[in-house]
Amino acid sequence: MNSSMATAGSALLEVRHMTRRFAGLVAVSDISFALAAGEILGLIGPNGAGKTTVISLISGTLAPSEGEVLFQGEPINRVPAYRRARLGIGRTFQIMRPFPGLSVLDNVAVGALFGHGGGHTKLKEAREQARASLDFVGLGRAADQRADELGGPSRKRLELAKALAMQPKVLLCDEVMAGLNHVEIEEVIDVIRKVRAQGISVLVIEHVIKAIKSLSDRLLVMHHGEKIAEGTPDAVLADPAVIQAYLGKKRA
Amino acid sequence: MKALWGALIIVAIALLAALPWFGSDVLVQFGINALLLAVLAQGWNIIGGYAGYASFGNSVFYGLGSYGVAIAMVQWELPFGVGMVFGVLLAVAFALLLGLPVLRLRGHYFAIATLALSQVMAAIVSNVGIAGQNIGLVLPPLNNDRLFYELALGLLVIATLTIWWLTRSRFGFGLIAIRENEEGAAVMGVNTTLYKVLAFALSGVFSALAGGIHAYWITFLDPESAFDISLNVKMIIMAVFGGAGTVLGPIVGALSLSAISEVLASEVTSIAGLFFGLVIVAAVALMPRGLADMLRRFRSSGWRYFAENIRAHRL
Repeated sequence: MNSSMATAGSALLEVRHMTRRFAGLVAVSDISFALAAGEILGLIGPNGAGKTTVISLISGTLAPSEGEVLFQGEPINRVPAYRRARLGIGRTFQIMRPFPGLSVLDNVAVGALFGHGGGHTKLKEAREQARASLDFVGLGRAADQRADELGGPSRKRLELAKALAMQPKVLLCDEVMAGLNHVEIEEVIDVIRKVRAQGISVLVIEHVIKAIKSLSDRLLVMHHGEKIAEGTPDAVLADPAVIQAYLGKKRA
Repeated sequence: MKALWGALIIVAIALLAALPWFGSDVLVQFGINALLLAVLAQGWNIIGGYAGYASFGNSVFYGLGSYGVAIAMVQWELPFGVGMVFGVLLAVAFALLLGLPVLRLRGHYFAIATLALSQVMAAIVSNVGIAGQNIGLVLPPLNNDRLFYELALGLLVIATLTIWWLTRSRFGFGLIAIRENEEGAAVMGVNTTLYKVLAFALSGVFSALAGGIHAYWITFLDPESAFDISLNVKMIIMAVFGGAGTVLGPIVGALSLSAISEVLASEVTSIAGLFFGLVIVAAVALMPRGLADMLRRFRSSGWRYFAENIRAHRL
């Protein structure tokens, strides 16, 4: 997928000149990019680059100071978070906060009850949908456990299952591989590839460069809230500005 | 197992319903009070236990329900039923009007914001002519404790069925999601503002109905007793003692604590309050998640359950 095509109007999700300030700190500064239908876009950058803020601005838990978010060509700046979810924007959280008092299955069922298009109205159907999502991410056997009994790697999968049960058109993944071992990372990469195969666009924030390189169609690099590079993974990772941001001036 | 539970519950309701025909007058009066407190605890359970918003405004709903019945019956000479509807309308209007701004506050801030509401309402009602100002209103007496008992029991059954429905409905799942993680609920498509306000209003409906029954039973009310914050504290203690966010916990809490406080009041009289306080402190230290959680976990952990809770508190 090349970037000029993605911005040429076929974009499912588009961010235009988005800025977010927190009392003097510019967390996101004039960021623009587009995500095409069925594309996997990797968003990388050093800690504090503003990646999670970008996801929050798209999912609607934060409002931009300037700029616009468009979904399916429509501006959604004034659309509240819950309605963005119903339009088809699903996200995971970097700091995993499952609904601890609910079973794993019911955690996911919340997504199925309220997700894309307003979700299922019947709990039974929602739980079936939830079970399918759990099987999809390989967490089917933990369905009846309490969510707060899950270990770290399983919680990452639970985050994915919750978002997938919403049957989104866009999935925003905030560090779903952090803290996982090689085998687990490979498994999550497989899951994300399967997600894309269903026609869902994916925006992935990740620190594991090797993983995101093999997974993404394109990469976008942020540093100090600004976009410093965008393009194919190979080109971006060879970019001196990117190497400098990651390794410091001397090494570059 | 499910059928057994169902049968047990039906037998329990039938026994409770038959109580006025074999119990003493004192027992029936105790029953009316305990059942109304259980309704209040269940009402609080919806907003506090399920949606996770610790409301101190529920005693306002109770007061509005009381005054709805009193004003309708005394000033307008309307039947009791109409008064109940009027009281519910007042409570729902209050929930919608106040819920929108107040429910934006989370956690402790919400509790603090609702804390003053009772006193404000008492002050307002003291100056309303139709509500009898600070003298209050005297309702036409109806000497029929059996009727009041059955009304209170019926209301408790309806409140409990509503909460049972919550645990298996989209609405209830939305509320639990809000309690567990409000931001997470919103990005999964839960209209958090609407759900919170609806939960507040539903909570208000049951509290108002309990207030209406109580007013007609006692036949007298004034602003101080109708808008009494300590009643709200009781609701919370009872709901939490039994298990907030469970279907039957608040009932168990309300009935057992009513019984304990009644026994203490007749056995040790003057220092009953002290003993009651000790019971509450012990309960909070040993089973902070309520009786319902204790019964569930005790089977797997045994006595260790209490030790774990004490350790978790760093006592």
